[in-house]
Amino acid sequence: MLAYVLRRLLYGGAVVLGVLGVLFVLFFQVATPDDIARRALGDKARTDAIEQWKVNHGYDRPLWPWQDFDDNLFFHHYSTMLSFDFGRSDVDDAPIMRRVREGAVPSLILTVPIFTLSLVLTVLLGLFVAFFRETYIDTAGVFFCVLAMSVSILLYIIGGQYLIGKLLRWFPISGFDSDPAVVLRFLALPVLIGLLSGVGSNVRFYRTVFVEETSRDYVRTARAKGAGEWRVMVHHVLSNSLIPILTQIVLAIPFLFTGSLLLESFFGIPGLGSLMVDAINQNDFATMRVMVFVFSLLFVVGQIATDISYAAVDPRVRLE
Amino acid sequence: MRRAIAARCAGFWLTGLLALATGCGNNPYAEADPAVKIRFSPFATPHRTLDPAEAYNVTAHEVTGLVYDTLLEYHYLKRPYTLIPGLAKAVPEAEALGDGRVRYRFEIREGIGFGPDPCFGDDWAGASPRIAVASDFAFQLMRLADPALKVQVRDPFSRIEGFEAFHDALVAARAADPAFADQPPLAQYQAAGGIRGVRVDGDHALEVTLSEPYPQILYWFAMEFTTPVAHEAVAYYDGEGQRERYADHLVGTGPYQVIEYDKRSRIVLERNPNWYGIEQPDAPGAHYPTEGAPGDAEAGLLDAAYVGRPLPFIDRIEMRLDKESIPVFNKFLQGYYDAAGIIKESFDQVVQNDTLSPEMAARGITLRKALSPGLFYLAFNMEDSVVGAKGGERARKLRQAMSLAVDAERWIQIFLNGRGIPAQSPIPPVISGSPEGYENPYRRVDLARARLLLAEAGYADGIDPATGKPLRLTFDTYEVGSGGALDREYFIDEWRKLGVDVDLQVTTYNEFQAKVERLAYQVYLWGWSADYPDPENFLFLLTCDMRRSTNGGPNSSNFCDPEYDRLFDKMEILAAGEERDAVIRKMVAIVENERPWIELYNGVGYSLAHDWLRNVKPFGMSYPMSKYMDVDARVRAERRAEWNKPVVWPAWVLAGVFVVAVVPGIRTFFRERQ
Repeated sequence: MLAYVLRRLLYGGAVVLGVLGVLFVLFFQVATPDDIARRALGDKARTDAIEQWKVNHGYDRPLWPWQDFDDNLFFHHYSTMLSFDFGRSDVDDAPIMRRVREGAVPSLILTVPIFTLSLVLTVLLGLFVAFFRETYIDTAGVFFCVLAMSVSILLYIIGGQYLIGKLLRWFPISGFDSDPAVVLRFLALPVLIGLLSGVGSNVRFYRTVFVEETSRDYVRTARAKGAGEWRVMVHHVLSNSLIPILTQIVLAIPFLFTGSLLLESFFGIPGLGSLMVDAINQNDFATMRVMVFVFSLLFVVGQIATDISYAAVDPRVRLE
Repeated sequence: MRRAIAARCAGFWLTGLLALATGCGNNPYAEADPAVKIRFSPFATPHRTLDPAEAYNVTAHEVTGLVYDTLLEYHYLKRPYTLIPGLAKAVPEAEALGDGRVRYRFEIREGIGFGPDPCFGDDWAGASPRIAVASDFAFQLMRLADPALKVQVRDPFSRIEGFEAFHDALVAARAADPAFADQPPLAQYQAAGGIRGVRVDGDHALEVTLSEPYPQILYWFAMEFTTPVAHEAVAYYDGEGQRERYADHLVGTGPYQVIEYDKRSRIVLERNPNWYGIEQPDAPGAHYPTEGAPGDAEAGLLDAAYVGRPLPFIDRIEMRLDKESIPVFNKFLQGYYDAAGIIKESFDQVVQNDTLSPEMAARGITLRKALSPGLFYLAFNMEDSVVGAKGGERARKLRQAMSLAVDAERWIQIFLNGRGIPAQSPIPPVISGSPEGYENPYRRVDLARARLLLAEAGYADGIDPATGKPLRLTFDTYEVGSGGALDREYFIDEWRKLGVDVDLQVTTYNEFQAKVERLAYQVYLWGWSADYPDPENFLFLLTCDMRRSTNGGPNSSNFCDPEYDRLFDKMEILAAGEERDAVIRKMVAIVENERPWIELYNGVGYSLAHDWLRNVKPFGMSYPMSKYMDVDARVRAERRAEWNKPVVWPAWVLAGVFVVAVVPGIRTFFRERQ
C-alpha cells in the first residue's frame, strides 16, 4: 500500500513538473515578456516604460539556463511555483497567494452547498428513478436527464437570472455580500442553477449504476429472503454502489476550491473562478500561471486520493 | 404508514418551496434608510490601479474622479466644454518668458482638506485635517516623472522644463545606489533635485514653466494626474506587511472618500468631511451651476431647487462589481441601479423610432443621447508599398477609391443600432474647433467615382495588372469573437463592389502586435477617445513624431507629411479663434486628400436613468459628475417595492404538476408490487 501511494505520488509529481514545463513554454516562449509588458501597460506605453516594467517584474532575466545558469526565468519559474512563492500580479502587483486565499472562501461558500445538495439530491433521484425502473417515471426521468444535460450551463444561468431573478423576483439577479445576514440571499440562485445544471448527468449516471446493481444475484437473494423493495435499494444497492459514487465525490472535491468560472462571473462572486476570468480578461499572466498550476495540482491530488480511497471502500481492490 | 410518510415529505418540500419563494426577495442590497441619499452603480472589472498618476481608463476615473480634486475642472453644463477653477482660485493665463518658454501660475485655495486617514498620524480623525498645499501638487508632478510608476501620460508633461532631466536623475540615482529606492518617495525626489520648471511659492501658489508653448497643458490640470497627493500617504501605503498599496488606498481632497474598497466586490464612498467646498460653497466647483447650455433649462437641469446650492447632494455612493451587461441591465430595470447604458440584446425593447419605448417611459425612465468626443476609423499603413505613401499617387487614388466605397451610415445602423453619426474629419464635431459644416467629399458613397479613381490608379475593375487577378489586400484584426468579425466583413463586401479582394486576417493580439512591429499590415480598424476637448488631441495622431514605425507612438497608420506637421506646430500654440480654425481646416484638407484614414463614425452615447436620479447630463468624456446629481431615495424605495413583489404562484403550479405526474405512478407501482 505504502509503495503504491509513493509510486502514485511520484507519478503525480512528474505530471506537475510537466505541467510547469508546458506553462513555461506557453507563458514565456509563446507570449514573450515583451508581449506581457505591452499587455499590462497598454498600447500607449513607451519603449522605456516597457523595459522598466520588465525590470520591476523580473521579466528582464534571460529565458533559459544556457543563457545564464545562475539567473534565468526557467529556474525562477520552477523554484517559485514549487515553493508556493507565487509572487505578484502583473496587473496590480497584489500578492497572488493572498488573492488565492481570499478567493477560496467565496468559491467554497458557493461550491460546497452545490456539491453537498447535488450529491444528496442526485443520489436520491437516481435511487428513485432506478426504483421505478421500466415504468413511465423511469422513462420520463431519463428523458428529462438527457434534456437537462444537453443544455449549456450558460443557458441555465441566463435563463435562471431572467426567470427567477427578473420575472419571478425570488432572488437577486446577481451580486454577493459576505455578510452572513444576507449571504444566503445571494447564494440561493447560483446554488439552484448549479444544482439544476448538474442534475441531469449525475442522476443518469447514478441511475445506471443502481440499475446495474439491482440485476445482481445478491439483490435477487435479498428479495427472495423477503426484504422490502425500499430496504433492497437503500441498504443493499446503495452500499454496493459506493465505488462509482466515491469516484465522483473525490474527483469533485479539488474543484470545490477552484470554484465555477461561469457561475462566479455571472453572479459577481469574487471566488477563484472569477479570479481566473479576471486574469484572462486583464492579461494578468502571472495570475493565470498560478491558477493553472493550482488547478493541475488539485487535479493530480484528486486523482491520487481517488485511487487510494478505492481500497478503503472495497477490500477487493488491491493497490499493486 | 407509507401514505403518512409520503404526505409528510410532500408537506416538507412544499413548505420549503413556499418559504424559498416568499421568504426571499431580489433586493441585492442590505436594507437602507430611505432618508440617506445613496447612488447605486455597477463597475465592470476590478481596477488595475487607482493611483492618480497611473489610472487611465473610464472605470478607474469613476472612482478617482470623486476622490481626487484638481486645480481646474469642467463646467458641468456648458458646451463646448469650458474650464472653470477647481482647487485653483482662477484659470491661469500663459505668461511668455521671452525665450520661448511660458509660465502658468496657479493661485491655490486655502483650507483644502485631505480625507481623514491613518497615514496622517495618531490624530488623523481629529478636528485638524491635513491641508493640501502647493508642495503636494509639486510632489504629484514629480511622481508623474518617476520611472517606477506606470504613468501613461508622460509625454504631455515632458514639456515642463526639467521634467525629463528629473526622470533621468531618478533613473541614475537608483541605478547607482540600490538603497536609494528604499527611501520614502519624497526624500528620493528631493535628493534628485526636483523638477526645475515646477516652483512652489509658499503654501498657496504653484508655478509651472514649460520649455515651449503648449496651451493644452491646462486640460491636463483638470485631470486627476495633477491632483494634490500627500507624500505621507504614498510612503505609508507601500504594500508591505498588512498595509495596502497606495494604488488600492485612496487619500484625496475630493468631495468623497472611499470607506470600503474591495475591488473584486464593492466600493463604497461617503462625503469627505474635510472637503474644501463645505467651507467655500461659493467656489465654482463647489456649488451647482447657475447657467448652462441652450436647452438645459427646458431639460430641467437648471431647477431652482438646485441652482447655486452647495455640492454634493448625494451622501453615499455604492458601486458593485457586475461583470456581465445583461444582469446589470435587468437590475437597472428592477430599480437597483440608478442609471445604465443600453445593451444590444434589449435595444429594440428600449428604443423605438429613436425614442424611448412607451413601456420604458411609463416606468419613469429617461433616455439621454450625447455625441461622444471620440472617433473610429479605418486606417491604412502608410509604410506599405501598395496602399501606403511608398505607392505614391497610385496608392493615394486607391485609398480615395476605397474611402468612397464605405457606407458608414448603413454600418452604423446594422452594427450599432444607429448609435453614431458618420464621421467626416479626424475631429469629432463635439470638439470646439472641429470644422463646422464640413462634408468630406471622400466620405459619401460614390461607386462610379471610386471605380474611376481605381482605374486611374491602374486597377481597372479592381484588377491588379501585375497578377491579372483582383487586387488582394489584407484587413488585419485581432481578438474578435464569432460575431465580432462580421462588422469587418461588411467593409470587405463594400470593397468587393469595386473588384478589390480584401482578405480578413484575424490573429491573436500578440500576432497583431508582431505584424505592427514588422509593418506587415495594410488596413485595420482603430479608434481614439478624447483626453481633453481640443482638436490637437486628435490631430497629433497623424504627426510624424507620433509614428509607430519610427517612434513607437500612437500614429499606427505611420502617416507623415511635412506640411501637415508644420501646420500642426502652428496650430498647437494658437489660441482658439479664426486663425486656428483656418489652420485646422488646412490640416483636415490634407487628411481628406491623402486618406491615411477612412473616417467611420463618431459614437452617440445612449444612456438611461430613472427619474429619481436628478440633474443628469451626459458628459461624454471620462469625468464622473456624481457630485452634481441628486437622488430621491423615497421615490426609489417606493418604486422598488412596487416593481419587485415576488411572484409565488409558479411555485404552487410546479408542485401541483409534480404531484399530478408522479403520485399516480407511485401508487400504481406499489399496488402492482403488492
